[in-house]
Amino acid sequence: MFKKFNEIKDLLEMRYGNNRDPWGLDPKRVISDLKALYPFYHYYFDVRLHGRELLQDKPYMVISNHTGQIPIDGLLICTAFATDIDRPIFLRPLVERFLNSLPFLGKWSNESGAVLGDRLNCLNLLKRGESVLVFPEGVKGIAKNSRDYYKLQRFTRGFLRMAIAADVEILPVAVVGAEEFFPYVIHLKKLATLLKIPAFPISMNLFPLPSPVDIYIGEPYKLPRELSADALDQELEPHLIELEKIIQELTDAGLARKRSILQRLKP
Amino acid sequence: MIELESKNIKSVLIIGIHGALAKITAEILIKKNPEIKIHGVDSRTIDNVPNHHQLTSQQMKYTRTNFEKIFREHHFDTILHLGRLGHSPTSGNINNRIDINLVGTNTILELAQKFHCKKVVILSSHHVYGALPDNSMFLKEDAPLRGSFKYAELRDVVEMDQMCTNWMWKNQNTIETVVLRPCNIIGPQIKNSITQYLNTPYAPLPIDYNPMFQFVHEFDMANIIIESAYKLKNGVYNVAGDDVISLHEAASIIGVSKVKVPIIAVEQLAKILTPLWKFPHYLIDYLKFPSTLDNEELKKNLGTDIFRFNSKEALELLKLN
Repeated sequence: MFKKFNEIKDLLEMRYGNNRDPWGLDPKRVISDLKALYPFYHYYFDVRLHGRELLQDKPYMVISNHTGQIPIDGLLICTAFATDIDRPIFLRPLVERFLNSLPFLGKWSNESGAVLGDRLNCLNLLKRGESVLVFPEGVKGIAKNSRDYYKLQRFTRGFLRMAIAADVEILPVAVVGAEEFFPYVIHLKKLATLLKIPAFPISMNLFPLPSPVDIYIGEPYKLPRELSADALDQELEPHLIELEKIIQELTDAGLARKRSILQRLKP
Repeated sequence: MIELESKNIKSVLIIGIHGALAKITAEILIKKNPEIKIHGVDSRTIDNVPNHHQLTSQQMKYTRTNFEKIFREHHFDTILHLGRLGHSPTSGNINNRIDINLVGTNTILELAQKFHCKKVVILSSHHVYGALPDNSMFLKEDAPLRGSFKYAELRDVVEMDQMCTNWMWKNQNTIETVVLRPCNIIGPQIKNSITQYLNTPYAPLPIDYNPMFQFVHEFDMANIIIESAYKLKNGVYNVAGDDVISLHEAASIIGVSKVKVPIIAVEQLAKILTPLWKFPHYLIDYLKFPSTLDNEELKKNLGTDIFRFNSKEALELLKLN
């Protein structure tokens, strides 16, 4: 694994040099974070990546279902793309606005590669050849009560327009296993509104359970060339529905083969 | 539409000639065109004005009568308005600032048109965009001006910018107006808040935030002001190079020791140390959140090689001083 991290370090240096990129990504921070996350990724969550053979060495807009109450799924997808494929891809997750305003956390997330999720940032990143990670369900996807687990929420359209404008393929990804990090959750929506935070989940457990995670990569989705970034919502709707369907199918297929925590506990 | 021949700049009024940037601009203008006549004015006591026969200066109150007098006497074809008052706690009271920044600017614009000037270049600031957690990287010129959302002390900066842009579109057929919104201007001669902050030993540096910054060297800025007068058409232009640098990197290049503390301590220290530490409170947000500029429009009009120094080099030059 040390060899792998050395290769990742070389690639990071080749791409970003020793300087930060305009959004604050610090190559040294990325490598130290990957080293710190990898034991959780590999041993604690036992993540398995499926469909890596579909990836090519080019920028993608990666879209995924959002699960797990706190954005651990984002960290695991980023770690998978950086450490578990032959030619690492350093994904730039687009994050909630409120994260940037938090002391320490905002700084750390920017240095690790996360970027404030807005259209201008997304477009500029894609134009620079970066791959971005988007959760089109938004906070609705992550802030679900237990009974709604693995139910895909409606996607927003902004990401489609950005993919068209930057002329990149959309890579659908489904994460299975992350909802079980916090098996019993209720959301105090009114309190979240009062505190001006995106969600206020109350869970039985404070630390995520070691639920095994599977990340499924789908076929890259090409949008028609004639589709304009300023197309009417109705023109985008079929593609939105198709992408939702692809991710839901990947999720359902993954759920059928899902590994449970109990399976891992067996000797 | 009137054909404006701004290439033949003969008589220039520089407002704010006491400032280092104005002096550098005047020097470069004279070097570029020895036939030029420059008259510099300032409401502050003017000292160390470069000694050239082409350059005259006078201290005066920014009243309509005073401005009318100099407009009548000098027949300016170009106005470089570099005299916006800053917001350091020593910049006088808010009434005086609003008087100079808003009323004074309005008078100057009116007189520029009345006396048939060809071009007005106005130096605004990137502070008009504000430093907010949801700012995109590389704000374009059409981004909303949110600088005064949180800090009323920035109200006149935003209003002055808006007043000038409104005026520009209204009078676009009779006079060319360029509004420049530069990133942080630094250099050995400039004494603005950010330069002083970077140069102050043991000034607090937030440990929990590290926003990205852009810096433009004073020499480059002066050059761009002149190029704007010669080449730019009506419009608003961000002024920033291609590179960005984090606050912590900038502080480390300058090499002056800083005290790393959480931002909450910086805010409290700024309040307590106001008489000693001349740091405007609104600038604390710029130590937390980015306010970086897109330069596409400027480069499209002035070329890609308009900057001689990048942010890092500008900081190195400041350090050398």
